[in-house]
Amino acid sequence: METSRRSIIGILSAGACVGLVGPAFAADTIKIGMTIPMTGPGATTGQLQHQGAKLAIDQVNAAGGVMGRMLELVEEDDQTTNPGMVLAFSRLVNRGDLAIIIASVRSTQVNAVSEDIKKAGMPVFIGGSDPTLTHMGDPWVFRCRPNDTYSSKVIAEFGVHDLKKTKWAVVHGTDAFGASGGRLLIEQLKTMGITPVVEQGINNGQADLTPVVLAIRQSGADVLSTYIAFENDVALFARQLKQFGVTIPWIGSASVASPISRNLAGPALYGVYVVADFDPSASPEAKKFAEEFNKAHQVIPDDQSAWPYDAVMLTAEGLKKTGSTDPMKLRDALHAIKGFKGTEGTYSFDANGDGLTSYNIVQNTNGNMVFIRQITPPAAS
Amino acid sequence: MSMLPQLLFTGIGIGSIYAMVSLGFVLLIRSANVVNFAQGEFSMLGAYLMLILLVSFGVPYFVAMIVSVIVMGLFGIVFGAITYWPLRTRGQIPVIISTIGAGILLENTVLATYGPSPQVLPGVFNASGILIGNIFMDSQYLSMIFTAFVLLALQYVIFEKTMVGKKIQATSQDRETAGLLGIPVVTLIFGIFFYSAALGGLAGILVAPILFVSVGIASVVALKAFAANIIGGFGSIPGAIIGGLLIGIVETLGAAYISVPYKDAYAFIMLIAVLLVRPQGLFGERISEKA
Repeated sequence: METSRRSIIGILSAGACVGLVGPAFAADTIKIGMTIPMTGPGATTGQLQHQGAKLAIDQVNAAGGVMGRMLELVEEDDQTTNPGMVLAFSRLVNRGDLAIIIASVRSTQVNAVSEDIKKAGMPVFIGGSDPTLTHMGDPWVFRCRPNDTYSSKVIAEFGVHDLKKTKWAVVHGTDAFGASGGRLLIEQLKTMGITPVVEQGINNGQADLTPVVLAIRQSGADVLSTYIAFENDVALFARQLKQFGVTIPWIGSASVASPISRNLAGPALYGVYVVADFDPSASPEAKKFAEEFNKAHQVIPDDQSAWPYDAVMLTAEGLKKTGSTDPMKLRDALHAIKGFKGTEGTYSFDANGDGLTSYNIVQNTNGNMVFIRQITPPAAS
Repeated sequence: MSMLPQLLFTGIGIGSIYAMVSLGFVLLIRSANVVNFAQGEFSMLGAYLMLILLVSFGVPYFVAMIVSVIVMGLFGIVFGAITYWPLRTRGQIPVIISTIGAGILLENTVLATYGPSPQVLPGVFNASGILIGNIFMDSQYLSMIFTAFVLLALQYVIFEKTMVGKKIQATSQDRETAGLLGIPVVTLIFGIFFYSAALGGLAGILVAPILFVSVGIASVVALKAFAANIIGGFGSIPGAIIGGLLIGIVETLGAAYISVPYKDAYAFIMLIAVLLVRPQGLFGERISEKA
């Protein structure tokens, strides 16, 4: 009896100590929340996002932190699903001790929490490229990648003017990212007097894409463009295109350049053009980041790691400028950022929270992505 | 119209994988009255085992394949002992929940151990396929079709024409009476767990060169295989095969001629139609006729 009473007292005392010491310790760090897919089909990219953000945090902390305090990353698993995202975001917000949140790269999932972002009352970085995500009148959203208004313009510009192609096949995912990217590209082509000969939507996680490949082959298209989110789908599509002898030029969205897609598809992706928001050759900042990331993880990074890295660096920049973690002040400081050189490009946030407009055209040359040129379309309103 | 033969080949190929996984479902239903929702995870584990043996240890392809299938079979016995045996007297629902839980555990254990990155598993043959007329026959699809049909024949003969098959069916219908008649009920049930897991593992090994090796492989095939089972007739062996093939063909043709985004819906539209018109499935028996 005495033993159990002592044990209880001991446990309660320990708990009290943790309670007292905990907040004091917690106050020492500035916490950055992050939702990442640790499970589900996006788990591969989740790991890359974690590595990008963590590298930035380590670098900021190694340089002495911000405002004399260290940065700390607090992550929640979004399970690559919308309900999972809502839960993860809500968990982060309800902690009450975060300065900022880095949310999803998947437009569908950002859409799922768009109302929650409005209510959270703190700046939220996103990587989803559906243009509407920053056009909902929410002053708290900041995008660390150029949106698909620009990628679609760059694809159309490169395909029509550089490659001189006019018979387009447009294949896109049916999620928010794919549907919006496909629609914007078709609209952009229409402004150039071109109506695609094939437009196909595909669901994520298909076991077979033969019907789509055959439709492209039969259409006589002379160029293919894709907005497909998941690397498995990109690789399956690439292999089946090759099997059925479809060898027309292919201009894909960023996931086509991902190391995962290239590893899975191998030679089936050789020669493919990609509009990539990140490329190591695009700027000295991108090159430095790629070298440091490669040193840490033995892999050349892509946009999946670059944008969370930038999000952390932008947070540090905002905190330095305002000298406070007050959400309103931090938000205004981020909006005031102009000409910040990040790995994805030079950030100047507009009133909507869009920071970038440029895309790089790169080509898969025997498995390596080779930089061709950067295209900066005029800023959209 | 010239696309049709190609689409039929593809549909049969992908349908044969649904059929193989569906066969695994059927066997456990027939022998132990167990609806195993971790059947898709057996495929995932088989693919990972194959990958480890082939790529990490450099074991020759067919040796790796046989070892993987046998190890999967042994795993099936352990799986049955943990998820089914302690709950065998509690009815179907606790066992179903137990298999769902085991599936989640398996998926997340693999995710935690091997990470989320999909891996490339080489196919059975080096050649990508053969061109006959204007039909491109992918070598991996050919392997899947061949294996599915051999297993169909084998399983049909065992279940319908042999004493072992009859004993298994007797066990399924009334375990206690079967035991009283001298049928080795426990051995038979665990034998089926062995075969069912081995079959699931083999399906995973065959489909992985197309879908890549990842934890997601389980969900791609399992749901359609389950639908195939109901369309064909719950617990019917020919039904599982025909149901799987039908889903493969209908979703491929539907995607080509109607709409690609609705591809996943065709299997379930078929499922609803069959449940409305013929609830026992295409080859199923009415419950009253079953005994």
